[in-house]
Amino acid sequence: MTPSDLLSTVLLIAGGVFFLAGTLGLLRFPDVYTRLHALTKADNVGLGLVVAGLALQAESLAAAGKLLLIWLLVLLAGASVAHLVAAAARQRGIELWKR
Amino acid sequence: MRTVDRRQRLAFTPRDTVFFQLRSGCLRAVLFALMWWILTDGAIASWWVGAPVVLFATLVSVVLLPPITWSLPGVVRFVPFFLWRSLYGGVDVARRAMHPRLPISPGLFCYQWRLPPGLPRVFMANTVSLLPGTLSVELGADGLQVHVLDERKNCL
Repeated sequence: MTPSDLLSTVLLIAGGVFFLAGTLGLLRFPDVYTRLHALTKADNVGLGLVVAGLALQAESLAAAGKLLLIWLLVLLAGASVAHLVAAAARQRGIELWKR
Repeated sequence: MRTVDRRQRLAFTPRDTVFFQLRSGCLRAVLFALMWWILTDGAIASWWVGAPVVLFATLVSVVLLPPITWSLPGVVRFVPFFLWRSLYGGVDVARRAMHPRLPISPGLFCYQWRLPPGLPRVFMANTVSLLPGTLSVELGADGLQVHVLDERKNCL
């Protein structure tokens, strides 16, 4: 196992942990707004780590660039969709959960 | 104050407007060409299709989206800040989701705009959504409504 393989493994596993945490947040958090927090942040970081781990194994610079492009698109889509869902929930008068 | 001066210049002298449009057109052409190169894995033969497509995409983008004012030092400072803070945001929300007692205390805040309407505000709203503990809810006329995960800790 080369050092880059090892680093890839660590990054991929760490990415998986973030996806797990994001899903756990989706299940455990009390309302739509807090669930969006879990999804946008944990999943974006998880995907970022997975992309970094895969980019290390990429055969060419273009392939690594493609992975980076995917991450940027997901980042943009994730933030925009999270905002749209939150705005729609707010317009329908869904109250936020308070401790 | 300098940004205001610059915007006034952009709006008032036609020669500067043309210059900014040309500059942003060239920059976008380079970006689109880079994207084409990435998508085709650097295949030389693909440029017979790629060159016209890049040209067309640049024209469409210049027509649809006026030049964006940005600064290189700003980008250089923003990117590491953004990467580091979004990593922190992921760690923070993951810790809260996995904590047995679910340490959250959500609240809603309104941030008064200090940015001009349009793209800068949308960019800020999206950035806020990706940074630790905050989520953009509504882009109002005079403020941004932000949902925070823990109002004891996050202050605007």
